[in-house]
Amino acid sequence: MFPYRFFSIFSIALLLVSCGNSRLDDFSDVSFELTNQNGELVSFPDDFEGAPVVVGFIYTNCPDICSFITANVQKIYEQTENPGDTQFVLITFDPERDTPDELKKYASAFEMDKGPFHFLTGDTEIVDALMRRVSVRTAIDEKRVTETGRSIYFINHSDKILLIDQKSRLVFDYGGSMTPTEIIVEDLNKL
Amino acid sequence: MNLPILNMKIFLILIFSVFTFLLSSCQPDEQSAEKITGEGIHIEGSWARPGSEGRMSAAYFLITNFEQEPDTLLSVQSDVAQLVEIHESYQQDNHMVGMREVGQVEIPANNTVKFEQGGLHIMLMQLTRPLSDGDSFGITLNFANHGNITLDIPVRR
Repeated sequence: MFPYRFFSIFSIALLLVSCGNSRLDDFSDVSFELTNQNGELVSFPDDFEGAPVVVGFIYTNCPDICSFITANVQKIYEQTENPGDTQFVLITFDPERDTPDELKKYASAFEMDKGPFHFLTGDTEIVDALMRRVSVRTAIDEKRVTETGRSIYFINHSDKILLIDQKSRLVFDYGGSMTPTEIIVEDLNKL
Repeated sequence: MNLPILNMKIFLILIFSVFTFLLSSCQPDEQSAEKITGEGIHIEGSWARPGSEGRMSAAYFLITNFEQEPDTLLSVQSDVAQLVEIHESYQQDNHMVGMREVGQVEIPANNTVKFEQGGLHIMLMQLTRPLSDGDSFGITLNFANHGNITLDIPVRR
């Protein structure tokens, strides 16, 4: 009897979860004034309302995990049927070094400096507030000065890609470098 | 038809399937069970991420040591960056990811060490030129037993 009951309850729960219209968070009540790779002002997430948004969090001096996240966002774009003109956003949590100019160069290197790709930076205080709101944690790690006198530091950080719906609500929170992009594409196509 | 017995049968089939899956996932896969053949140090599957001038990139490859003795990757040089180091990304206890320098990497006898995304990688800091998809650059790996091995690394997204 127990297995029958267990599977019935499990099935009902699964059905409820899959049919539910639940959202993890709602960002429609906040607005962050940022600048994109072309030096244009962008209000996040307001300016993207009406379209699904895939958002990754990076810093451009991180060639491994953050490049992985950037490449995954690009891969999602390539694999998607682009429902509702999906927008693809990468926000730096290192605004001091990641100026719009640097983001432009980084975007160019990945051939993502056009179309629905937006690389965003901003004032440190605003970016910090945004990172707190979306639960992206950062901590400066190793700091050193090179032989040429240049300061280098790395940042420990959350590894994240978010899927936000047309009403600026958080649908899913993924491991940015670890999640197979097919899963994100599948979720995106449901919006 | 006796419904509880039928449900019990379904339950047993499910349990059997789960155990079969768990057992199959414990078996060594074809690649790791395969005996490697060759000699010396062999490097394959190399590639690097794009990067803008003055910024960073990372290079990846597989190093196989066909010898009966372990070897050690001591250092890496390339004129594509002002600083070239061996690094690894790692998961921290606080659910963040970090990156740290790794001095040297031992390549065990008859074994392969993977330099791959999210793990060991060659850190190219302060690039002397932009690296775009389709470019390539030279890199020299210095091994304790096998000396210098130079590679041409393709850049891809």
